[in-house]
Amino acid sequence: MKTTDIAVIGAGPAGLSCAVEAAKAGAKVTVLDENLKPGGQLFKQIHKFFGSREHRAGTRGFRIGRQLLEETEKLGVEVLLDAAVYGIYEDRLIAFITDGKDHTLKAEKIVMATGASENALAFPGCTLPGVMGAGAAQTMINVNRVLPGQKIAMVGSGNVGLIVSYQLMQAGADVVALIEAAPKIGGYGVHASKIRRAGVPIYISTTIKEVAGKEKVEEVITVELDEKWQQVKGTEKQFDADTVCLAVGLSPLTELAWMAGCEFTFIPALGGHVPIHNRNMETTLKGIYVAGDITGVEEASSAMEEGRLAGVACAESLGYYDEEQALELKNQIWDRLDALRTGPFGEGRFTAKLKQISARRQLA
Amino acid sequence: MKKNADAVVIGGGVIGTSIAYYLSKKGIGVILLEKDDLASGSSGACDIDIILQSKNPGIHLQLAMESAKMYETLADELDFDIEYNATGGMILIENEDQLKVMKDFVRRQKDIGLQVELLSLKEASKIQPGLSPHLVGATYSLQDAHVNPMRLCFAFSRAAKRLGAKVYLGTSVLDIRAENGKVKSVITNRGEIETNIVINAAGVYAPFIGEMAGLSLPIKPRRGQIIVTEPVPKLVMADVLCAKYIAAKYNPNLLKESDNPETRLGVGLSLSQTRDGQILIGATREFAGYNKNTTHEALHAIVNNAVRLVPALRHIHAIRSFAGLRPYTPDGLPLLGPVENVQGFIMAAGHEGDGIALSPVTGRIISDLITEGKTFMDVSKLSPSRFGSLSGNENAM
Repeated sequence: MKTTDIAVIGAGPAGLSCAVEAAKAGAKVTVLDENLKPGGQLFKQIHKFFGSREHRAGTRGFRIGRQLLEETEKLGVEVLLDAAVYGIYEDRLIAFITDGKDHTLKAEKIVMATGASENALAFPGCTLPGVMGAGAAQTMINVNRVLPGQKIAMVGSGNVGLIVSYQLMQAGADVVALIEAAPKIGGYGVHASKIRRAGVPIYISTTIKEVAGKEKVEEVITVELDEKWQQVKGTEKQFDADTVCLAVGLSPLTELAWMAGCEFTFIPALGGHVPIHNRNMETTLKGIYVAGDITGVEEASSAMEEGRLAGVACAESLGYYDEEQALELKNQIWDRLDALRTGPFGEGRFTAKLKQISARRQLA
Repeated sequence: MKKNADAVVIGGGVIGTSIAYYLSKKGIGVILLEKDDLASGSSGACDIDIILQSKNPGIHLQLAMESAKMYETLADELDFDIEYNATGGMILIENEDQLKVMKDFVRRQKDIGLQVELLSLKEASKIQPGLSPHLVGATYSLQDAHVNPMRLCFAFSRAAKRLGAKVYLGTSVLDIRAENGKVKSVITNRGEIETNIVINAAGVYAPFIGEMAGLSLPIKPRRGQIIVTEPVPKLVMADVLCAKYIAAKYNPNLLKESDNPETRLGVGLSLSQTRDGQILIGATREFAGYNKNTTHEALHAIVNNAVRLVPALRHIHAIRSFAGLRPYTPDGLPLLGPVENVQGFIMAAGHEGDGIALSPVTGRIISDLITEGKTFMDVSKLSPSRFGSLSGNENAM
């Protein structure tokens, strides 16, 4: 049977950062990813990251992805692609499918860095071709270089909605409306100003009433919402559009953690049910760790830090670092994580993460 | 809370809810206690088969046949769609040894009155396409059927409530109080219920309830793992089993001759297709304590066995797997009826993999025994006393 020191599930920012950190310490690391290319969502992120210099602020996402891949290669990390992990069984046995065939991998430590998936929204016409996740549209334009449509209605004004709107315009599409159900814009002002200056009309307290079209999206009807989030009759607006992008949040991809038997806690600010973990990113199951969006939806920068933390902790528990070395590295990472979780957008996550970790203490 | 009831049923699975219904129908004031939710244990982690053919010719088959008769009109009686469907069932025969055993089995089942016949592979393939060419034949009975066990629990519970029963979910039994060898009350996490009759229908957890009454019950959990496929157009026409484990019951050498994992894990084919088109592929029979995890080894063994017998399954995707615990008893028969040591303590557990098939008849028998002291058939062979005195640890497994 194939064995490894540390198996990392997911080759996104968290998984790759974890692999790099653990391999640096000398551990044998195997990364599994169901996609044909590694990098997770990094390669579609053509915008510059925020934060301080340690967080690679000013660097574009895809360059960070490229750099991480180079490092994994240099450090001899094994990356298995087209490897869909379908189960984690007793004694950390990982089962996965590659090329239609069943394989197993036995690991001393497992890090689940499976990321998140886009939320959907239900409205009449939501199954018509042309209705898609904003992240999917971003992959189409930035990775596959295919324009999903010419006239886009964007739903959701968080950073994903704002950034993807701008990138769709850069790619040559027209954003006919940006719709936000809340009474104010969700994402950073700098992104919102940019698309507003470019002429995109932003409608707050507004939702989609329905999408119509024969075989695909042809028109979008919006309606305003009152302070109780109820539709206000007579406020309908009609837009000609061929594409509706949904940027209405993400949910952690936690199936494997459930199956492995991790204990969960419910924290809406992090996207719902999230696995409980300690300050080493270890779940309630010994030797099974989590990192990145699976622990609660945040940004790539914090996902990478959580990955590093899990990487250092795994390496330490396998004896590749002594306690002192590990503590110093972990403290540095925690300082950077805490810094990322400040300000009006970070404070809520800081509190939420505290809650998640204290849930673990309560169990113990 | 201080409450009282004519009878307290412990367990909200297919056995407990059935008993609650049939008792309520006879005007008995019932409280049903369930520690989690309806069908949250074995009744929600099993397949959908009501199989008569697999039952041992004797009291086991008689019970199943009585139950099958009740199923035919049960949906109407309970006024709820329980997804009952008389699909028929078949047991695949792989070699001459199995054929010999099955011929005898069929003959004795026919003597009891089961409509069952032996088919050649050609005849069997007409009913169920996609069978492996290496098979030598199959037995077939039109009396086998399907039911959705979760809907069944819900239907029984709802019908019982309509007749005045109270169903308390999320209510664990902490102790059973007896005075002078008679049941007096049941202590739960939500208070005490005064009653003279307690029915232990807690399935694999029945021994824990027994312990509270000073009984050591010969029931232990036997794990069954099952795989669920994506929904596909109708492919499994009947319940499909294989003769391996039935044959093995009568000729243990068939088990011994092989040391492969399939045999060790007690893998026997059980195929059925739900109304939504998903195929359930089972199953194992393992002793693994109360561990409800699936294992990679067992899932592999189940798939290999199924694909060997029915190659048509090869290109269908498995999307889920689960395990349930079957309440095993040493002689394969349930414990039904009063116990000697504690008056008012009635057993109704230990059906292993036959709980779904025997659910209605168990409810009827227990309600008869409680209200009339007898029932329509001789059930002395099912009496808990067949294992001797159950007090203390004399019969501990």
